[in-house]
Amino acid sequence: MRYHPRKYRPLLAPGLVLGALIYAAALGCEVSFDRFWKGIEVGGDLLASFFPPAWGDLDDMLLPALETLLLAVIATPLAVVVSFFVALLAADNVRRGWVRNLARGLMSAERATPDIVVAFFFIAAFGIGPMAGIIALALGSIGMLGKLFADAMEEVDPRLLEAIECTGATRSQVLRYAILPVVLPSMIANSLFRFEINIRSAALLGMVGAGGIGYELSQAMALLEYPRGTVAIAVTLALVFLTERLAGQLRQRLIAREHLA
Amino acid sequence: MSTAIAQRTKPRVENSSPHATVLADHAPSKAFRRRATLLVIAAAFYSFTASYMHFDPLMLFTEFDHVVELADDMTPPNMALIWETPALFASMYATISMAFLGSLLGGVLALATSFFAAANVMPNAAVRHAMRLSMVFQRVTPTIIVLLVLQSIFGVGPFSGMVSIAIGTFGMFGKLFADAVEQVENGPLEAVTCVGASRSQMVRYAILPSVMPSFVANMFYAFDVNMRTAIGLGMFGGGGLGYELYKAGRTLNYQDQLALILVIVVAIALIERLSDKLRHRLIHNEDI
Repeated sequence: MRYHPRKYRPLLAPGLVLGALIYAAALGCEVSFDRFWKGIEVGGDLLASFFPPAWGDLDDMLLPALETLLLAVIATPLAVVVSFFVALLAADNVRRGWVRNLARGLMSAERATPDIVVAFFFIAAFGIGPMAGIIALALGSIGMLGKLFADAMEEVDPRLLEAIECTGATRSQVLRYAILPVVLPSMIANSLFRFEINIRSAALLGMVGAGGIGYELSQAMALLEYPRGTVAIAVTLALVFLTERLAGQLRQRLIAREHLA
Repeated sequence: MSTAIAQRTKPRVENSSPHATVLADHAPSKAFRRRATLLVIAAAFYSFTASYMHFDPLMLFTEFDHVVELADDMTPPNMALIWETPALFASMYATISMAFLGSLLGGVLALATSFFAAANVMPNAAVRHAMRLSMVFQRVTPTIIVLLVLQSIFGVGPFSGMVSIAIGTFGMFGKLFADAVEQVENGPLEAVTCVGASRSQMVRYAILPSVMPSFVANMFYAFDVNMRTAIGLGMFGGGGLGYELYKAGRTLNYQDQLALILVIVVAIALIERLSDKLRHRLIHNEDI
């Protein structure tokens, strides 16, 4: 096939802009190939010091791993319940006007705030410990889940709502019999998805003071006990991988059941 | 069903034990009982785990004065910080650069690797599985772990942050892109192969055009996500706005901290808007 230079001409200007952006970004990140190659040289030796993993320390890691898991196990249901009620305020077929806009605005402000910033705030307020971690995880989840739940509620067929309203149903009955059955599957799927995210976040929060496996990892790295760090990393990976598998399986089961019903 | 109605219409006085009928009528259904049992078990499990972790939801209310106190310390935000410290712009520049370059590098890496992991491009199953495995491994590794390891190699600073974001983005999209490549319709593939195209020409003329739009859309999404990641990583020594925030917190300059948080929130919201607009324009009138 022949090369057609003319065909690529429209891409020239965007390509140049992209190139300039990349160059500017490279300056901002202090990219230097010198450093990179030196890093690769040193990195080989350094990575070698991570091995062999100190499997003897595995016993010390299991309880912290459980704590990290429980952080997400406690925070996620809490967030789901609160998000449901927040979503009721933010769905325009349930509530209109300034309440909805306020709820939506608060949630999008929460989403724009990185979770780690929220975590730092609560650790500063409640001190180091699981309490701050749980509140931070729960709050971080509400911004996302509340919006997703509210969006799902708004997508409920208005004819369905009318049909139930026509029978003289009260507001809570409309909620129970028209909205809830429709949004429940997507609510569960999204909650499971958030649970997966929360496991990761919980490990991260451990590093800033919520305890658990993240704390063990940061401690091992800070004390330059790399083989111990390797074990902590392996445990974290196993935890994330297993919970993801579990959540995936639950979700699939749910979908299968949905199709049967 | 009919027996239930018959029972209900039966006059109660004839029954020897009126209570029994009432109970039978109003006894909860099997499904309800099963749900109730599950709920009780879940609630018991939840309270057990909560007490194990010493988590008391009431503490949120009893200890709420700490939050109020902190909020009091934080207000009013020291907005003067923004124009008094020019270094802040350098930090913002570093954060945006990290997110941008990391997303781009990771995305391109993911796209390039995805061809080696897709069954319709890569005939060698061993290579394919190796690629897929590296993607799975990368996907479950939290970015912060990558950063901790990289920092000991490249030193503290935005460079390590950028490389960890790139690796994280690779994990996020590798599998997605590989699946997208595998789902390319057979028609164009066969057509291109029929005219005698080589494997690389097949990729260029049959696969790339069909995965490009989703690649571009995902790149914008990655950039949004990575802005937040960049701030998070900054707190652990990745530099940029995150590090400024961390410093302000450590030195208990809460008013500075709130100003920084506001800057971050506004910057992220603006960038999201911008990337949304750009994405719409790109997707609607470009075909590469």
